[in-house]
Amino acid sequence: MDWTPFSYIVINLARQIRPDEIAFSGVNSTLPMLACLLAKRAYDFHFTYINVAGGVEPVPRKVPHSSSDPAIVDGSPAIFPNEDFYDLCARGGIDLVYLGCAQVDAEGRTNVSVIGPWDHPKVRLPGGGGAAVMMPTAKRVTTWRTEHSRRALVEKLDFVTAAGNLQTVVTPIAVFQKRGGRLALESWNAEVNRDEVVQRTGFVFDTTAASPTPPPTPREQAALAELDPHGLFAAEVNS
Amino acid sequence: MTLVAGLRAAAYGIPFQPVAGVHGSDIARLNGWRKIADPYGSGAEVYVIPPIRPDVAVIHANEIDEQGNARVLGSPFWDHPLTRAARRVLVTAEKLVPSGMLAAQPELTLVPGFMVEAAAIVPGGAWPGSMHPLYEVDYPAVEAYLKDEAGALESHLAAAPECRES
Repeated sequence: MDWTPFSYIVINLARQIRPDEIAFSGVNSTLPMLACLLAKRAYDFHFTYINVAGGVEPVPRKVPHSSSDPAIVDGSPAIFPNEDFYDLCARGGIDLVYLGCAQVDAEGRTNVSVIGPWDHPKVRLPGGGGAAVMMPTAKRVTTWRTEHSRRALVEKLDFVTAAGNLQTVVTPIAVFQKRGGRLALESWNAEVNRDEVVQRTGFVFDTTAASPTPPPTPREQAALAELDPHGLFAAEVNS
Repeated sequence: MTLVAGLRAAAYGIPFQPVAGVHGSDIARLNGWRKIADPYGSGAEVYVIPPIRPDVAVIHANEIDEQGNARVLGSPFWDHPLTRAARRVLVTAEKLVPSGMLAAQPELTLVPGFMVEAAAIVPGGAWPGSMHPLYEVDYPAVEAYLKDEAGALESHLAAAPECRES
């Protein structure tokens, strides 16, 4: 078996980073944090990793449980705190931002605010954490869900927390890229078939350019094993 | 970021702070945020956020002296805009240092003493959070606190450094 849900998400998040870019991971973003650290180990090109704790090119001695733990600043030659990275994003200086979602729609808008009506919520969610500013101003945004379902990938959001430059959605079974203003299937996890992706998605999408996701490379697998030697992060996604 | 904009409006002493983005988000409608046209004629529209002026900001510092000058090491997170926006600033600190000591590296002082109303020395005061470089996040304590069971809050409070006799 090539993929677990955990390895599929982290490695495909890492694959969104391009040479010489500035990539950013935020709060409640363990998987993007791991993806950025994985890309540093598995890919030969240069990119700059900054994070919500103020870390710039950190070399953490250990990977913290929380993506906003100050431990993710360790080894940074500079500290670039909240005001600085938001301003950098606002002026167009961040290439790739990872922003979480509870729901995402076909236009790549996200909801991190509430399930159900605002005044009578079924579930009150933590909120955007800057997403409403970062999604329209970052050059590209990638989101992810550990659950691929019709309630997560929806035709209509319960609330629009953020809209703008969302380009990519990664789930345990598929990678979507926005083309012509709508999400289209780019590739799917060969552990499932393509029809399953269609059935488990709440919006209609183009599949014509899609192909199975290239399997993880030995370097990607080795980097992931190094970052999660005891499988603690993996257990939270794969269970 | 809109939170920082509101804090900046308060810190700068102006009625609103323009902020990038927000377009297309329901959060603007929910909060009644308005957008204005660029008065210089670019055609761009910008959301403007009203001031957020906290009555009190409480921050935890590494070191403080008798005059209230407070030094924060590591990432300052929100400490800078918060202390500038608030009406009153209170500081808890890991350690009291002799007057004059902070003058050796004044750039490490995050809040000058004239802004600080009161302070308390509370070693371990950021617990169960972390305090760079002294201690890390106490994840087991955070998880114990999150348990939805009788006594979870009480046992958390009983273990807090500020509640123990020193």
